[in-house]
Amino acid sequence: MIRAHALTKTYGTRTVVQDLTFTVRPGTVTGFLGPNGAGKSTTLRMLLGLDAPTRGHATVDGRPYASHPAPLTRVGALLEARAVHPGRTARGHLRSLALTHGLPRRRVAEVLEVTGLTGVADRRVKGFSLGMGQRLGIASALLGDPAALVLDEPVNGLDPEGVLWIRTLLRSLAAEGRTVLVSSHLMSEMALTADRLIVIGRGRLLADTTVDDLVRRSGGRTVRVVTPRSADLRRAVLSAHPHAEVTADGPDALEVRGVDAADIGRAAAGEAVPLYELTPRDPSLEQAFMDLTRDTVEYQGAAA
Amino acid sequence: MSTGTTSPYAVTPLRVLRAEWFKLHSLRSSRVTAATAVFAVVAVALVMGGTYTSGGGDADIDPVVLVLQGTLLSQICLAVLGILVTAGEYATGAVRATLTAVPARLPVLWAKAAVFAATAFTLSFATALAAYPAAQLLLADTDMAGSLGDDGVVAAIAGNSAGVTLVALVALGLGALLRSVPGALGAFIGCVVILPEILGALPYEVVETVLRYFPTQAAGALGSSTPLPGAASPGGALLALLLWAGGTLALAGVLLKRRDV
Repeated sequence: MIRAHALTKTYGTRTVVQDLTFTVRPGTVTGFLGPNGAGKSTTLRMLLGLDAPTRGHATVDGRPYASHPAPLTRVGALLEARAVHPGRTARGHLRSLALTHGLPRRRVAEVLEVTGLTGVADRRVKGFSLGMGQRLGIASALLGDPAALVLDEPVNGLDPEGVLWIRTLLRSLAAEGRTVLVSSHLMSEMALTADRLIVIGRGRLLADTTVDDLVRRSGGRTVRVVTPRSADLRRAVLSAHPHAEVTADGPDALEVRGVDAADIGRAAAGEAVPLYELTPRDPSLEQAFMDLTRDTVEYQGAAA
Repeated sequence: MSTGTTSPYAVTPLRVLRAEWFKLHSLRSSRVTAATAVFAVVAVALVMGGTYTSGGGDADIDPVVLVLQGTLLSQICLAVLGILVTAGEYATGAVRATLTAVPARLPVLWAKAAVFAATAFTLSFATALAAYPAAQLLLADTDMAGSLGDDGVVAAIAGNSAGVTLVALVALGLGALLRSVPGALGAFIGCVVILPEILGALPYEVVETVLRYFPTQAAGALGSSTPLPGAASPGGALLALLLWAGGTLALAGVLLKRRDV
């Protein structure tokens, strides 16, 4: 269990993280979402004791990370960018970390195997691709067989296969009962991986919720209908389903909320309105996320 | 998954020491730098031995100082190595991994300093112990002829190695303080190597006395088998060097504990 209590970090007059309180529970993947510059990395560094909070504190299993006798067995971390000496081999990097805790060589070999790095284990990290570097970061995080994982943007720079691999890995780690906190600035990625979401913007907590709840809040499913007689269709749908919400979605297109595609099709057939398209649409989590964070995005492109 | 109840795994000072020893010798750049230091001392010793002529301008020089002129070069190599040991981790980002594994932080600095000092001293001492008799084979018929058995020679060689090691430790401390390889190199060359030369040109006697206890000057005093004129006593020089290295490391330790990584 990872807890942040009123975490605050200021650099001079700039407040990067403000009064952030949240709990990350075991057995689930918790997404830590926010636009770039929202304070995600700073928060994660404070959880790991790399940065000292200006106010507030963070705990891992009830104590500060740094006060655990074997911190790598409590939290495994993948931090932003690369944290490896390029002149060292992958195995050498992991071994140097393992030695501090008295972890056996066998464990180094295991995490190399899990992350698919066995074949390149004795090559110097200098020549690694971004994806291989990320895998080595994950291997370091898994080294202590930790009860919790903190991963900062783990899918950054990965190819689709690597993204799928991380997604599956995170889900299986959570299924084993571990605490998994993973940051991202991509809602779409988190929608596929996370159960819970902690959303921050400009260092403040915007939402501490579940993916399901966010789906509900963003308005549920809609159906897009394309027809040359949109006015007739609107009348037909509304007379059969008075609670429906029908909005224009282009010249010949409507967006219908509160009625499913089958009922719309039936209503259209009753009035003999031809349909060119009938498409159920999932609510856009991306949109929900952008609605949440709109006011907090650090650099925004001007509307066209 | 570890429950943390009776885990055999924990960070201990000895384990941090082992990790830092592994990190030092598993890097090719460390090995190359160390080998260069050894080569410089041996090569210069042989050149000095082969080219010396009795009664020349160098006649009043101490034989150990003459043969071990190469330590001026190995000093630079070992200072660079010391800087790489600390500041190098910041340059590569590896320090984040290091301090996540050992969040108490200070054990890392002490382990780095201990492993580095032991390596630098052993290497310097062994090299000089081999280089001195080797050069003496070439000096046999000159007024510099001597052997390891002569009065004060082994002590001077040990002093030379201790001096080189402690000055390099100051560099390691500067690397930890400044967290930048070029920054620490600049500070080392500027403050430790060049500044005393400039101060030495000042016409004040008090400056001259104080300068004897500056790192490179004190290291010079330690490496002579005969008393050097105008230098600190070996005991005073060793004490001064210990204070320089200890002071730099202590300051680096305070900042390491305080600063964000």
